[in-house]
Amino acid sequence: MLQNKNVLLIFRLIVGGVFIWAGVSKIADPLSFAQDVRNYQLVGPALSFLTAIFLPWVELIAGLWLIVGIYPKSSALLISSLLLFFIVLVLITMARGLDVDCGCFGTFSRQADWRLIAEDSLWLALSLALLFSPANDFCLLRKKSSKA
Amino acid sequence: MGLKKILADKETWVGLGLIFGISLVFGLVSHPGLIKRFLAGEFQHAFILKEDFPQVVFISLPEAEAAWAEQKAVFIDSRNLEEYQRGHIPGAISVPLEDLKSGREDLLLRIPDAPEIIIYCEGGDCQASLNLARWLESRGFKNLRIFSGGWAEWTQNGLPVEANVAE
Repeated sequence: MLQNKNVLLIFRLIVGGVFIWAGVSKIADPLSFAQDVRNYQLVGPALSFLTAIFLPWVELIAGLWLIVGIYPKSSALLISSLLLFFIVLVLITMARGLDVDCGCFGTFSRQADWRLIAEDSLWLALSLALLFSPANDFCLLRKKSSKA
Repeated sequence: MGLKKILADKETWVGLGLIFGISLVFGLVSHPGLIKRFLAGEFQHAFILKEDFPQVVFISLPEAEAAWAEQKAVFIDSRNLEEYQRGHIPGAISVPLEDLKSGREDLLLRIPDAPEIIIYCEGGDCQASLNLARWLESRGFKNLRIFSGGWAEWTQNGLPVEANVAE
């Protein structure tokens, strides 16, 4: 995988930044996000509420840790898994013919559609590159053994 | 570095555990008021604060039926136009939420003055009526009622329907 540490750092800033923005934009208004989750019609009110309380913080912390390099493999793995989940979720939603706001960035959210899948796929590609790259320079916490 | 190696690394799981743990704590302490209200049974119908949406009230089938029989409310069908044309509550006006969201604000002009505005969608898990009610409240409409049983409950109870009527 990629060895160029500057490119990897830029990837970290982009993907981490997207997740920090995703988290922060939703933390302030959990009820709106809970309604966005509910609109997908996959989980009931209780799980929608808990997701809205919990998930934005996961996004924020994972994004932050990816950038500053605290457990970088954990955050890259988590972010990749979330993106994969979001892509599958949007595909299922489109297949069911539901027209919903994605709920990605609070009030800045837009429709869950092909463009969103394309965007998420791009972030997923960057995130996977980070996950499978041995280089992890500029990290606050890193395992010496995993350095390239 | 392969996925197997990453998954086999204990540190990966410690990191994940920390992210989840910290998120849970922050989530719980950042919104204690909302969590208290949720535990007290609020937000079962909708994730809206009563004080933010004072005009939105949920009603059951008997209430919807009575309002329809007495003709004291206007019914709004928030489903898409094809569904409306296949069948709707007699007298209901079609205001598809998805058309409204794509910019057709002129649809709001169809809603006449009425003592009550009763909004419905397919029923079951559908959220269009609620989202339309939020939209209408933000545009100044008053006395909004959401008939959450919707089209499904209406037809299951053998109540009158109307079909193939143009918008």
